Amino acid sequence: MVGALARVSLLIAMQYRSDFVFNGLTGLLRTAALVGPLLLVFQHRETVSGWTGPEATLVMALFLLLSSMTGALMEPNLGAVVEHIRRGTLDLVLLKPADAQLLVSLSRVEPSRLWDLPAALLLGGWALAQMPAPSPWGVIGAIIAVLSGLAAMYGLWLLAICTSFYFVQVDNLRFLLMSASEAGRWPLSLFSGWLRVVLLVAVPVGVVTTLPAELLRGRGSWEMVATAVAVGTGFLVVSRLAWRRALASYTSASS
Amino acid sequence: MSVQVRDLTKVYQVPVKQPGLLSTLRSVFHREYREVRAVDRVSFNVEPGERVGFLGPNGAGKTTTLKMLSGLLHPTSGEVRIEGRRPQDRSVDFLKSITLVMGQKQQLIWDLPASDSFELNRALFDIPRQVYRERLDELTALLGLDEFTDQPVRNLSLGQRMRCELAAALLHRPGTLFLDEPTIGLDVEVQAQVRQFIDAYNRNTGATVLLTSHDMEDVAHIAERILLIDHGVVRFDGSLGELQRRFGPGRLLTVKVGRTTEAQEHLLTGVLGMSAGAAASWSKTVAPDEVNAVLTRLLQDLPSAEVSVGEPPLREVLTRAFGEARERREEGA
Repeated sequence: MVGALARVSLLIAMQYRSDFVFNGLTGLLRTAALVGPLLLVFQHRETVSGWTGPEATLVMALFLLLSSMTGALMEPNLGAVVEHIRRGTLDLVLLKPADAQLLVSLSRVEPSRLWDLPAALLLGGWALAQMPAPSPWGVIGAIIAVLSGLAAMYGLWLLAICTSFYFVQVDNLRFLLMSASEAGRWPLSLFSGWLRVVLLVAVPVGVVTTLPAELLRGRGSWEMVATAVAVGTGFLVVSRLAWRRALASYTSASS
Repeated sequence: MSVQVRDLTKVYQVPVKQPGLLSTLRSVFHREYREVRAVDRVSFNVEPGERVGFLGPNGAGKTTTLKMLSGLLHPTSGEVRIEGRRPQDRSVDFLKSITLVMGQKQQLIWDLPASDSFELNRALFDIPRQVYRERLDELTALLGLDEFTDQPVRNLSLGQRMRCELAAALLHRPGTLFLDEPTIGLDVEVQAQVRQFIDAYNRNTGATVLLTSHDMEDVAHIAERILLIDHGVVRFDGSLGELQRRFGPGRLLTVKVGRTTEAQEHLLTGVLGMSAGAAASWSKTVAPDEVNAVLTRLLQDLPSAEVSVGEPPLREVLTRAFGEARERREEGA
């Protein structure tokens, strides 16, 4: 079923070939724009807030991974649901015999945003090659943290989708989420205390970017992994509950 | 029992705001709501295979009822059971047993050929490939889809799209069909095709059909039982014939005469007040207790005329029924 939904979303995205190429080019420019400031900073300093150039690059690579996943799988669905609600066609989506959350979560994908993925792998690979080899526990912890963080970010976007059931116009929320996520490209230690907490538990980008990087550079702890799992699980549970509530109060556009 | 509905009620909270800048600013901080009772303690049963038409003016609560029956809207109170299942639970078994076709909304994916939407439904409804192929062939033949299922939906005409919609909605062979204005905007030929198709589907599969439509042809052709809804309340539940007898202004008398003299024309239009129609025919809706008198007069003065007595147009019956419902509501208020 997931395969069939993904296939259709992919087919829709492939209808607009020029978009695919254009987004690819934008992705390259975006990567360059992200790496540029990093190079500039580390030309003049050895470390920033305890992070070396390769370590900060690793954070950036993880941020690119996140933005690629968000752009390809999460953000387009919010747009699709808002459109469905406005036109009343969500009715027809909800009538399919599958979990409604799954249907909505896969209603639109934007594969061209996966262009960020090779850049993330290249940057990450380069950064890791410059750093001392991480311990196996560090690698396992980092993988758990990345997956938990992605789950948490999915939950956050699903919460945003839920708000569209009540307010319909949620474009501002979309921009807010995307702008807040941008903070994840820098290590969390650069931010002040309260902002660090926000980026871990409210807009949990830090769980995908800084926590795994900490674990890979050998400064992680099991508490970090536990935090990541707790945040991920928390967001999944809360967003699921919010989704059920939103569905129950769905009013459907009139025909 | 296929459909059981008990005291079904839906109340919406609708934000209210006076016009003007000041009240708009005030509503930003303090929003006021008004309760709108879209469906009010509606109860009815539908037997398997029955074809029921929901009729009522715009905003009567027909579509809201249909959406609660299909599980899209949660009732404020009351109970619904479709083949023993609660719609709002959205169980897979329930969703596989129903379909909702909306004339104004579509499930087909706009940018892809209809065949991709069919294929998606095959996967979602878990239809075995062999069965899927047989059903698709059957639907293609019945609906004449052959030539266009491989074109993007956005390039299809409204009629072609509606036929593909029906195919997509019925691939999983649902036992209960909810049809919300299925022929709206279609040309006469496609409308007839859609009606015939629904008729055939009902006869071949024994499916229950619940229809809302403002098109009287749809109602006359598809529905054998009518539920008249007005302001969320069922005002009438019975057969089409009963509806016509109860609300009908009388019987429709039609007179066909080959050639008329001036005196005869005076009788028809002047004395009897009939209006001239096409092909030398005159007609008038006559109150039931006056039918005999008018017939006697016609047979006396126009012995060669061909006279028929029938039901008045459904539209006329419904206009009276809605009017009567409104009067009763106003009296109660």
